Amino acid sequence: MSKHDRDRRHDDGGRSGCEHQATRSRAEGRPGIDAPGMSRRIFIHKSLVFAGAAAGLSAANLWLPLINTVDMAHAQDAGGMSSFRFAWVSDTHLYPENVNTRFVEKAKRAVEEINALDPPVDFVLIGGDVAQLGDPVELQLGKAILDEIKVDKRFIPGEHDWYLDMGKTFVDLFGETPWTFDHKGVRFIGLDSVGHAPDYWSATNMTPEERMGHMAGLDNSVTGPWAGLGKAQREWLQTTLADWPKDDPVVIFSHNPLYEYYPPWNFWIRDWREVQEILREYTNVTNFHGHTHQVLYNEIGTLRSVGMLATAWPWPYAPEGVPAMTTPMTRADPGDHFDGVGWDLMTFADKRAEHEYMMWRQRDHIFARRPEDTTVTKNPTITLQSRYADRMWTGRYRGTD
Amino acid sequence: MKIDNTEMMRSRRLMWVGGGTGALALVATLALTGALVTSPASAHKEQHEPEELAVFEQLFMEQVAIGDRLFHGDAELQKEMGISLSNTGMACAMCHPFSRDTNPHEFPKFQQQMSEFATLRDMTNWCIDKPNEGTMIDVDSDAMKALEAYMHWSHKGSVLNAGEH
Repeated sequence: MSKHDRDRRHDDGGRSGCEHQATRSRAEGRPGIDAPGMSRRIFIHKSLVFAGAAAGLSAANLWLPLINTVDMAHAQDAGGMSSFRFAWVSDTHLYPENVNTRFVEKAKRAVEEINALDPPVDFVLIGGDVAQLGDPVELQLGKAILDEIKVDKRFIPGEHDWYLDMGKTFVDLFGETPWTFDHKGVRFIGLDSVGHAPDYWSATNMTPEERMGHMAGLDNSVTGPWAGLGKAQREWLQTTLADWPKDDPVVIFSHNPLYEYYPPWNFWIRDWREVQEILREYTNVTNFHGHTHQVLYNEIGTLRSVGMLATAWPWPYAPEGVPAMTTPMTRADPGDHFDGVGWDLMTFADKRAEHEYMMWRQRDHIFARRPEDTTVTKNPTITLQSRYADRMWTGRYRGTD
Repeated sequence: MKIDNTEMMRSRRLMWVGGGTGALALVATLALTGALVTSPASAHKEQHEPEELAVFEQLFMEQVAIGDRLFHGDAELQKEMGISLSNTGMACAMCHPFSRDTNPHEFPKFQQQMSEFATLRDMTNWCIDKPNEGTMIDVDSDAMKALEAYMHWSHKGSVLNAGEH
């Protein structure tokens, strides 16, 4: 990195800190939260650029963090014992190594950078889509890479991990979902939002490879509304939260968003209404999700949602439904496969939780300053058709729970 | 309606590439409308019969279907057409679901990656070459026309926004 680049980044950090700020008062729709000054700020934090350098990372590995500060009342913070961090890695979409080395390179880089953190994070959440086509070779490759992480790991599945053998290999390698654990005053919950699709394969006698192939396309329309928790898991969620104080922090991990963003790409779970009803009486719930491969932030009722980065590639924003509270990321350069991707770091301290997008490419502005620099629809009359090839499929969906 | 023999042969060839029962139906429809073929001089003067419009639509949608399959990385079809759009496992649709953010309605325009005034076909080839590490295709090839048809059809109804960045 040249001196000019360093100077420019520092300058941008300060300037962006003033310009990219969104504040929402609790009066706008956060019933049950009594903490004063409830707000959410997004800013590029100059100090963390220096913190990265202080952590001993090489110049080539420096990133410009995008910080998503989420106010979370933190039950044990007064005692000074609860400060901690965890990292998120997801959507590595690994092919066999001889097919695509880029994705392997990026997954390894995330692991190396997380291992270099000092002090280390308490745990790492792997947010699904380890594999691209659910191939045991891909999942084994993911396990070998992720096994290098030196701290505890927790896994939730993505649809790309699941629909070749209906999750058998994933569960064998990474364990069952859902799960829960309490850590330093926070109840953490991992959900399976992918394994409960209505049966779209039996009616047409699809092979496992065909079933997986349809599922692997984000814009496929054959699979229908595959994302959801299902009745049994919703009941599990309700039971799991029953003994937890209503105002204490809850962090929920899921592959898909727990709200309706853009159903044609399953940027949702189909039973989001029922899930949000379960969560409604808990005043301090944050959901971190993968799948969308983009910067996202939303608040609905008492539920905050943060979209996490992929390591593999960024998706464009959907043609409609981008949450109004999201400050969109700058369009990635398709010629640079490290652009628009990375991993995420959460820090719990001083009664707050800070979320940082650890994007790999330094750039003048991670947040877009102008509509022309995002993939958010700027043309109000742009329309998109669903896939024509999928219309040749004549099967019928079965019922859903 | 002006469909001379050359054009009909070409249509049949493209339909063969697409395959499926739609091709047979289209051949039958063309045979029915063959009687309506007139001289080139009156090509744009005749009122269209519904059957003719159906043929036009079918010819276009055959290309959309081919483009859709190529855009989504159909390996078998690429092999049939003698092309290789990717060597990374990536398909166009993996960054452009529903062809999102291809913005065909904005071309031609200056493309920063290429530092040149580019057509949609130029940009398509750039993506084949750079992110996908595939083999660029002839800008006037059947595959390129099909890809273009799919991207345009995907954006059908959008406002033409020529030159927009």
